[in-house]
Amino acid sequence: MRFMILVKADKNSEAGVMPSTELLAAMGKYNEELVKAGVLLDAEGLHPSSKGARVKFSGTKRLVVDGPFTEAKELIAGYWLIQVKSKAEAIEWVKRVPNPTGEESEIEIRQVFEADDFGPALTPELREQEERLRAQAAAKR
Amino acid sequence: MRFMIIRKADKSTEAGALPSEELIAAMGRYNEEMVRAGVMLVGEGLQASSKGARVKFSRGKPAVVDGPFAETKELIAGYSILQVGSKEEAIEWVKRWPAIDGSGEVEIEVRQLFELEDFGPSEAVQRMREVGFAKRK
Repeated sequence: MRFMILVKADKNSEAGVMPSTELLAAMGKYNEELVKAGVLLDAEGLHPSSKGARVKFSGTKRLVVDGPFTEAKELIAGYWLIQVKSKAEAIEWVKRVPNPTGEESEIEIRQVFEADDFGPALTPELREQEERLRAQAAAKR
Repeated sequence: MRFMIIRKADKSTEAGALPSEELIAAMGRYNEEMVRAGVMLVGEGLQASSKGARVKFSRGKPAVVDGPFAETKELIAGYSILQVGSKEEAIEWVKRWPAIDGSGEVEIEVRQLFELEDFGPSEAVQRMREVGFAKRK
């Protein structure tokens, strides 16, 4: 099973405060553990929402709103994608995320869809297309 | 530059409703265009938050809360990562998101990803490079 581990934004991440060398080192160590255990698939950090935008769809309308967005708690500052055997195992990994500042933080754990989850709506042709596109996209990385 | 395209959750995704064959086909065509243009790097869908959890840290101590979570609008239902020349280009791709998704009522957030270069040189960053994650541009 794959899980997405979402790190919520806070005042600092939204203000564009860059992580200290201490935090980068702690994260590096944690990521190294994930890699050694063979569970890490992907991990990224997001710039503050001031560098982003939102697109709201309503019928044929497309409304673009530039960042920043005020609700820091609703925003994401980064994520890990991990491959584990259960939600419990994902939670165990999350409990070990470094939090060197000792401040309050919240991390969300969400299960990622696999092709088998979609049932018959993912016809053999669509599944074949999906797998081909995944391989082509992965080759770009 | 890489951008994360975040498809916000709604009542239907949180209820665990699966996409129709028609929607899967439309998303497939859309993704195919982006792959052909060489801009799409990743795309994933997330299960309803009822299958997830949150871990809240307070003074370093974790407390686990199982899903579902009520604030649907704050939740994420899926994401893609695009490699493009500018934020505007990312937005142009987002505008072409299949109109049948969410019965035409959808909100998508566009966020720039950090590159290792953004952190400035340090031993820790060098180590991350060697570990091999976040190696992509």
